[in-house]
Parts: sequence; C-alpha cells; structure tokens
Amino acid sequence: MKYRIIDDLTSDVMFEAYGKDAKELFENAATALFSVICDIGSVADEQAREFAVEGKDERELMMNWLAALIASVDIDEMFYSQFTVEKITPTSLRAVCAGESITPGKGGTVVKAVTNHQFAMGTEGGRRFVRATLDI
Amino acid sequence: MIIMKEKLERIDSFQWRLPKAVRPGMRVDAKVIASARMLDAIEEEAVQQLTNVAMLPGVVSPVIAMPDAHWGYGLPVGSVAAFDADEGIISAGLCGFDINCGINLIRTNLTVDDIRERKKEIIDTLFRKVPVGVGAKGTLRLSRAELDEVLTSGLAWAKKEGYATDDDLAHTEEGGRMAGADPSMVSDLAKERGLPQLGTLGAGNHFLELQAVDSLYDPAQAEAWGIAKEGQVMIMLHCGSRGLGHQVATDYLKVQERAVQKYGITLPDKQLACAPVQSEEGQRFFAAMQAAVNFSFANRQVMTSWIRESFAKVFDSPWEELDLSTVYGICHNVIKHEEHTVDGEKRKLYVHRKGATRSFPKTPVIIAGSMGTSSHLLVGTEEAMRTSFGSSAHGAGRAMSRHAAIASFRGDMIAKELERRGIISRAPSPKSLAEEAPEAYKDVDEVIASVHGAGISRKVARLVPVGVVKG
Repeated sequence: MKYRIIDDLTSDVMFEAYGKDAKELFENAATALFSVICDIGSVADEQAREFAVEGKDERELMMNWLAALIASVDIDEMFYSQFTVEKITPTSLRAVCAGESITPGKGGTVVKAVTNHQFAMGTEGGRRFVRATLDI
Repeated sequence: MIIMKEKLERIDSFQWRLPKAVRPGMRVDAKVIASARMLDAIEEEAVQQLTNVAMLPGVVSPVIAMPDAHWGYGLPVGSVAAFDADEGIISAGLCGFDINCGINLIRTNLTVDDIRERKKEIIDTLFRKVPVGVGAKGTLRLSRAELDEVLTSGLAWAKKEGYATDDDLAHTEEGGRMAGADPSMVSDLAKERGLPQLGTLGAGNHFLELQAVDSLYDPAQAEAWGIAKEGQVMIMLHCGSRGLGHQVATDYLKVQERAVQKYGITLPDKQLACAPVQSEEGQRFFAAMQAAVNFSFANRQVMTSWIRESFAKVFDSPWEELDLSTVYGICHNVIKHEEHTVDGEKRKLYVHRKGATRSFPKTPVIIAGSMGTSSHLLVGTEEAMRTSFGSSAHGAGRAMSRHAAIASFRGDMIAKELERRGIISRAPSPKSLAEEAPEAYKDVDEVIASVHGAGISRKVARLVPVGVVKG
C-alpha cells in the first residue's frame, strides 16, 4: 500500500503514506497529497518540473516538500501524478514531478496547507511511514 | 482525561459556561452558544480546544464556540477568542488558513417568476464567467506593482479599476480596506500564488448561489437593506483569499512557532503557535494578514462585477437597472483590533474570529447554509457586544468528513436531486458536488435558532437556493 486516507476529521483530511525507504516515502506522500487535490488517475505525465527542497531535519523536509507541491498548483497551474525523488538526504531533496496543466474537470479540492496536527514520521514493521493532515 | 462537555454549565437555553476551574492553567472561562441539539453535535475535541486557548497569555473571558463550531486547527472553526491589545498574543492558527474567507450578498429587483425560464441560462453564464475549481485560472494578470496596490488598497483598487462603486465600499466590512496592510510583510511565494488568482472562486465549500427570499422575519430592517418582498432574487458569493492567504498563514505559523520559543510562551497545544501581539513578529503578521484581507475583498468584488455583467447580458439591461447592489460584504476568518467593554471597562482587544461573523448593532450578519439548504440574513445586536465580542456564527458547520461524503454520495445523483427540487447546479467535477452534499452539514436553521435565541444576532430574512455554482 502506498498510502491511505484516515477518515478521522470532519473538516480536514489526514493521510498516512508508506515506503521502504525515504525516497519511496516522499514519493508516496506526494501521491497521497495529489489524490486529494485532483483525480490523480486521470492526470497524464506530459510536463515535468524540478523541485529542490530543504529542511532542518527530515520532518521539516517532509512539511516543506508537501508545501512546495501545494504552492506549485497555484503558481505553475499544474496537477501532478508522477513523483521521482532523485536525491535525498535528511535535510534536502531533489525531485522531478510530472503532470499536466490544470483541467478543472479533473480537480478534487483545494488543499490550503499541510499542518502539524498529529503529524508523525517513523518506522514500523521495517517500513517508513508519515502521517500528515491537510487543511482543506 | 476529563470530558469537558460534561462540565458545561447551563446558563440558559442557548448558552453554556465552562468555568476556568475545570482545568488547571485556564486563565478564563469558555462558553458555548448553542441550543441543546447543536451542543450535542459539537465534538468533545472542539470543547477541549476552547480550554487550550483559554490558557494563552492575555486572553479575555470568555473563549467562545458558536453553534456551528467543529474541530479546527488549534481553535474550532466557529469560534471567537479575544486578547488584550498590550498583554495578549496574536495567532495565525486562530484566524484560519483562508484569511478573510467571507461572503458578498447582492440583491436584485428581480423575482423568482422573472427568472423561472432563464435560471439555467443565468447559471450557465455565471459558470462560464467566474473561474471555479482547484487551481482555477483567473483572466486577470496583474503586475507585482498592481498586486501590491490590491494588498494595500483592497476595494479602493477595485473602484479605481472599475470593478466597484462607492456604494460597494460603503456596504463592505472595513469599507473594503484594512488600513494597516503592508505588502512588504507578504512573502514573494504568497504573492506568486496570488498573482494568477485574483477573480477566482476556488473549491471546497466555496460557492456562488442564486437565491430567493423565502421568509421575511423583520420586513422593516430588510427594506432598509433593499429587500422588499418574498420571492426577491439574491446572489450569495462565498470565497476567500485563495493561495495568497493560505501562504501568508503558512509563512507566519512558522514565524510564530519560533516566537513561542523566543518569548518563552507555554503552549498547551503546539497548534496554538503565536507571538506577543506587540512584538515585531506579532505586528508583522497583523500587517500581512490585513494585506490578505484586502486581497480577498478585491477578489470577491472582481467576481461581483462579473456577476453584474452576466446578469446584464442575460437580461439585456444595465446591471444598475436590475439593482444588483451589494447588501453587504463580510469577513468570517479575520483578526480585528477593536474596542469592547469588559467588566464595565473599555479595553482594546485583538478579536480573533475564526469561522465567525462580526455582529455589531444594526450591521448585517450573513450566515450561509450548505448547498441546497437555506442561508440567512440577520442583524447584529447590542447583546452580541455584551456576550460575544460583537460576533455571531458563520455557517452550518460540517458534520461528516469530505472523504466520507465522497464515499457516501455521487455528484451526479446530488445534481439530479437538486434539479428535482428546482435548483440548477454546475460544478467543475462531480466529486466537488459530492463532498459538499447537504447531508454532510449540520442543520443551519438550528444554528440560526441558536444565535437568534441567544440574542447575538436577530433574524431578518431566510434565503433559499434556486441555482448554485460550486467551486
């Protein structure tokens, strides 16, 4: 399983994403985010954009990664469906995201921000996980 | 853990007090304004959040939940928290991520009979004219200098550009401009997000609704606001400051997380990141927030002008002849520097309204229902000044998660059901209709009964939808 939506909050959306390592975890967290923002299954990978994100630790790196993607929806007017983390350390990552220019019919809901609510990252049963809440 | 809802003491049929003695560290009482039925619908976690906020420095009694309150980030959506202007704090989380999410209510001199045959044409014209949905692309492309002017001037910019009239400014909270806005306090990233989005509705619970006056409770007050009869057609526009406001909130939450460390503020919940209101961090946020407020005023006004153009086109008549005048424009996510009488003493306060509407005597209070249900126009009261820092509720309040709503309802079925009831709906995707299914919300009429019963605003008119454009 790449991710699951936790149906716990009336107004916001919480998800958990998983991965065998940091690379996969960050890619799957991005997939979870865009499953809320758009109909990710119908979004083609026809345009690519590079992202370089930093954070003081892995937790902040994850928050900043998701925040950069949320901002890109507004600034670049893109929906993304494919996420490739090319290089990652606990404080920085470089990634290429592929998607298409926004079509309103493929939209889901506006994600305003990723928040600290019950935010958690760790390792369980040998696999990495992150739990994050999106303010809708 | 103590169940806080069990500790609520009944004041009267619509007010419940949570004494500060229930939890060590609470500096002031909390209060819930709700009928017994609405109180039942408020989550325990939301009441717990009130007790957290009641522990913050400089908080003024009481911290208040409105009948539409539900759990939110730090403080429930549907709450009011006031802080001393010298000793208190200011917090981005207590304002909400969508700064100046609010409503413009526009009247017409048309009746439901006048639009019966043209309803579909009106809704289709509005749907084409007003960009809606996630990442909706606006048709305006501002320069950075123009954006800074929007952030500084709000509706004064809109008037200069021909989107607003003097009458619009006179009928908007703050005259459509918060004077302390400083664009230099808004990050480049926030501005980049805002540049393509002026004049866009967004998604989520944002909407543009064609409504009809269904009941007049206070005909004299309604007439003073240009609402003369039942069946009169109204237009309600609900949206906010889009990505620009979201980014301002995100940026300053980080600043305030650092300020908590710097100033040694003890927080019962990390989500309550804040800064002393008179600190550099506090005042920088207040200036940036006001800039986002002005952006949102301008955003709603640009769309208001497009609504006018749409009606003029459909009815082949100038909008002035159709009397598409602004009844009022209100904010419901905002922080205001206001004077209130507390224990007989006049005090300057920073009033945080998060999912709450200003309710000053004789001013309009607009409370939106969920899609397909009624919305209400009320008037503010002196009682609100005594009871709720001049505040009232803002909407129906969610009862079901968006995920559950999407799993439970199908957008096409909702559209058919609305049509069966005579309500034309348009949305960019079926999913956006499903997540806003009327069943996902609490009963707005009970919210109104609560605020009217508590006396914090008084019913003027009930509005029912006849057409809806969903974001």
